Amino acid sequence: MAFAYFLGCIMNNRYPGIEKATRILMEKLGIELDDMEGASCCPAPGVFGSFDKTTWAAIAARNLTIAEDMGADVLTECNGCFGSLRDSNALLKEDEEFKGKINNILGEVGREFKGEVNVRHLAEVLYKDVGLDKLSEIVTKPLNLKVAVHYGCHFLKPSAEIDIDSPFKPTILDELVEVTGAKSVPYKEKMMCCGAGGGLRSRDLDVTLDYTKEKLENMTEAGVDAIVDICPFCHLQFDVGQKEVNEKYGTNFQLPVFHLAQLYGLAMGLDKDDLTMDAQQISADPVIKKLDVITGGE
Amino acid sequence: MKTLKRLKKMLTGDKEPEKSEAENSVGQSEPEVKTEEAAEGKQETAEKTHKTTESVTQQSKEPETEVQPAAETEKQEIIEEKSELKPETSKTETEKVETEELEEVAEKQNESKSDEPKTERSGNMTLLEGREKDTITRDDIDVNFKNDIMAAGAESVALCFQCGTCSGACPSGRRTPYKIRQLVRRAVMGLKEDVISDDTIWMCTTCYECQERCPRGIKIVDVVKAVRNEAAKAGYMAPSHKATGSFVLKTGHGVPINPATRELRKKIGLSELPPTTHEFPEALEEVQKITKITAFDKLIGYNWETGELE
Repeated sequence: MAFAYFLGCIMNNRYPGIEKATRILMEKLGIELDDMEGASCCPAPGVFGSFDKTTWAAIAARNLTIAEDMGADVLTECNGCFGSLRDSNALLKEDEEFKGKINNILGEVGREFKGEVNVRHLAEVLYKDVGLDKLSEIVTKPLNLKVAVHYGCHFLKPSAEIDIDSPFKPTILDELVEVTGAKSVPYKEKMMCCGAGGGLRSRDLDVTLDYTKEKLENMTEAGVDAIVDICPFCHLQFDVGQKEVNEKYGTNFQLPVFHLAQLYGLAMGLDKDDLTMDAQQISADPVIKKLDVITGGE
Repeated sequence: MKTLKRLKKMLTGDKEPEKSEAENSVGQSEPEVKTEEAAEGKQETAEKTHKTTESVTQQSKEPETEVQPAAETEKQEIIEEKSELKPETSKTETEKVETEELEEVAEKQNESKSDEPKTERSGNMTLLEGREKDTITRDDIDVNFKNDIMAAGAESVALCFQCGTCSGACPSGRRTPYKIRQLVRRAVMGLKEDVISDDTIWMCTTCYECQERCPRGIKIVDVVKAVRNEAAKAGYMAPSHKATGSFVLKTGHGVPINPATRELRKKIGLSELPPTTHEFPEALEEVQKITKITAFDKLIGYNWETGELE
């Protein structure tokens, strides 16, 4: 199995530990990740899609042509990138007229969208292509943690077009998390948005933080040790946004944030430095210490 | 009389758009009772015979047709004009919705005029005075707006029957004045300027909760995005959004790398620059060329020489 690995922006340019953990995880699973050289921003669905559909689709299509040249399906581990690339791919495959318009633009940079590849999300590939059994084999350090799973919005929705799991009561991510030994704890408004998307974070931080505060309250109330997400933008919102919430509201939320890849990193026994946990705003040390006590340390 | 007006407003959903929804859902039974009481009271004193809500509305419409026949013709005109524009979408459902909606527009116009005889009687313009801006007239309607939205990929918008499920599901609606049901309504009515100048259209996080629950299967997020595209074209783009756009023009990334992350990448054995437009300048040129062709640079007011926004 080989994929064209789409990095996007936030993961590689802010949280490289997610990228590092993914590369190690996939190597262990025997899945080849080939870099999409020269790829750009996806571009963000709610932001560029909101500004100008043609620009959004043209830049997305350019990224897709890189994967087409590689002859491999795209793999992303960001819900936003998944949304943009999957949406534009589907749209261009079914709308000949729009495809013609976009290809006229791409022709100017020597490219053509052909519609030859699919766009996949890491979590879906891990669940459907790899499977929980095989995943459990890579766990060398079971995680005795209670976590709040955050699905994010563009992984399962719109469900009329994405058939991964139920948009209301999904289990895919909970199952993926529980393979590590961690427990996914139910919490109020679990499926609610983190508040960052659609350009809202850059447009109106107050509203965005109001969302995040509600999520953090509900997660804290459920007594979790950490948050697990599958989208670097949600990740940033829960990490940087958590600090901003604390500053704005005088709260003291301390929920470390792990991308699924980082959680697997922990479960594979990777060093926390490789996961760049120390570069995050909310310290993961209490969680990592708790794990060390339980496993006896190393 | 005050109660009657309130009831009428409630029924037509006119004015005070923020309140109408809450009133409709929460207070449905309560005001009904009150209205009946009021009507009954009136019956005793003035010895008139309205009993039900229906007769009340009927009565208030009677004088209007006599005094203002022009309104009726105007209504016809709008219907004709609009139906001419949409012969391609010959789904009966779509047409039905359209006619209903046009009637509503016309009704609103009629209604504002129907108040005139009353005010003549009472001698002062209490209802409309100072509120002319709130009255929807033909000048406010861009007959192409709905078609533009539909052409942008949200054809299904015409199916909306205003149930409000979307607003009920919307997390932004819970914390801001953003009302997705109203946005769809106003968009379908063609109130272009009203819609695109509304700051709250930017409160949507595109979380799809509305769309997932829409009983008509309307691609609501596509409607929001189409409306925002029109708003952006008309110059209603926030400086912070233009800045995000400019990052992509400059670097190919909406969130470009910074010195701290470069260090971090090196430290954990990743390439200092990711193998993206950051590492490949010729790839960045492609992205930049695309944005020039689509005039995205002009849309956000990017100056290539200074690298700044104008």
